[in-house]
Amino acid sequence: MHSRHNRFIRAPAHSTLFAGVGCAAIALFLSSCSADLSVQRETQQAEGFEHTAPYSIVCVIHGDGEYLYHDTSGIEYRADEQAVRAAQRVAQQNPDAEVFIFHQRPRRHFLFYFPLRDGEFYYYRNGRLIAHELYWRNQEEATFDGEVELYRRFHADDRRDQVSLFLYCGHAIPEFGGAGYDASYPDRAFTVRDLAGGLKELTRDSTKFDLMILSTCFGGTPYTIGSLGSFARTIIASPENLHLSYFDLQPLERLDLGMRNSTVPDFARRFARHAFDRLTKDVQTAVSVTVYDVDRVRGFLRSVQSVYDHTLTTLQGRSKASLAAIDRCDCAEVPAFALPAIAEGVEVFYRPARFGRSKLKQSHSGWECWNDRAQQAAEPRVHDSELK
Amino acid sequence: MTIRRAFGFVAAMLILALPLNAGDKGQIQKYFSDAAIKVKAAASATEKRAILNESLKSMSDALAKVQSSGLVSKDDLAGIDRIKAVLQEKQDELAGINGYAPVPDEQLDSFSNYVVQDMEQAVTTITISLVALLLIIILVVLLV
Repeated sequence: MHSRHNRFIRAPAHSTLFAGVGCAAIALFLSSCSADLSVQRETQQAEGFEHTAPYSIVCVIHGDGEYLYHDTSGIEYRADEQAVRAAQRVAQQNPDAEVFIFHQRPRRHFLFYFPLRDGEFYYYRNGRLIAHELYWRNQEEATFDGEVELYRRFHADDRRDQVSLFLYCGHAIPEFGGAGYDASYPDRAFTVRDLAGGLKELTRDSTKFDLMILSTCFGGTPYTIGSLGSFARTIIASPENLHLSYFDLQPLERLDLGMRNSTVPDFARRFARHAFDRLTKDVQTAVSVTVYDVDRVRGFLRSVQSVYDHTLTTLQGRSKASLAAIDRCDCAEVPAFALPAIAEGVEVFYRPARFGRSKLKQSHSGWECWNDRAQQAAEPRVHDSELK
Repeated sequence: MTIRRAFGFVAAMLILALPLNAGDKGQIQKYFSDAAIKVKAAASATEKRAILNESLKSMSDALAKVQSSGLVSKDDLAGIDRIKAVLQEKQDELAGINGYAPVPDEQLDSFSNYVVQDMEQAVTTITISLVALLLIIILVVLLV
């Protein structure tokens, strides 16, 4: 009787516990899928296209990786989501622009099996959202086919004198290797060459972007600027690490006012200055923002190309473990790159880290190189004072 | 018995799901961010230094344990070495050794922000496997 009573009491307790744990498991299970099925395709008809779009901005925002950062109050942010919001503000605030926003998201599955679209696209024109679609990024190779197809479908090719801007936000784009850049596609590789391939498709009519903004770490290397310089007249990039809060995009809002009576290079300088001022307010690590005049840096790039290519070839042959010991440094600290032409065509905004070994470094050449510490130890080091 | 089995299955799912959710580098970043918040809340410079030192040391110790566990690959060992070197630099600067002047008392809050930001950059640029990451998280984040 006693035992029966216990069983009678225990049975509902088991059921409640089981139901509770079951609900928690289902919630966890569903949260792992978090299917965003609400947006598949929302495209308005083109009746709003009576206005021209003298400005065209293409934003590619990579979000398939570790993009978490904390502000000084400890609040967590996802860099890619913040960048999408900033790009949307730019789009809404520009009555004379068309803005493409491609958000490259991690691969996800509905019910652990059915793949979901891993790209989200927004197209704004004259400040209005015209299209919002989910799209497939390429599943096998890191190409920009999905983005290029959407770009061609919506691009307002109605003015020859259109000012065009390209913005890329993400982690440092690898110069070689590149496997695992997309965290959810660990076998897929993405490198500078892949981005150049995408840009080639976007600019197939052989026009260049007037301004390219690389909001990434280590964007200012001779190889990266040399490769992407074929598709832009002016490039803004960070040669060193860039904090995940990225470049502030606020100057891109109201381009009709910001670029009035101003050339693109002048605007680029103002953009870089603003981004630098904003970053140095909040960031204790090094801040470097450089404007590259692509035509004027060609001489320096030609002079160092063979040396830099040789470095890349050597690094490509090394094991992953050995690559982990290799750091980057200011090209001016590597004798083969410390040429008079290093300063030609670059405008550098630089502040060293507030702490650490380089806190007294006064300047940066605007070019970042590979620094094999073993090799470096054998070579005489160029001191900061000698760089001036 | 059926209820017990079902319960066991669901519980196993939950236990397995925990490390999967914890298995991102965000846990490591949160560890340093939490330490920075404690530093800023601390009343005295001595207390701030102790918190910073303890957080850096605990992480270094955990990394050393993961390295000696024999469960991680050669590539992981190299990646962990890099993170340890970055942490050692911070410890040296805090203590004012190995060529560093000690961080002044009035800059300890800024230094804690520097640690968070520099570690965020280091952790995202250095590649370590999920296994190594989980071991680090279990040792330093979940057991602290």
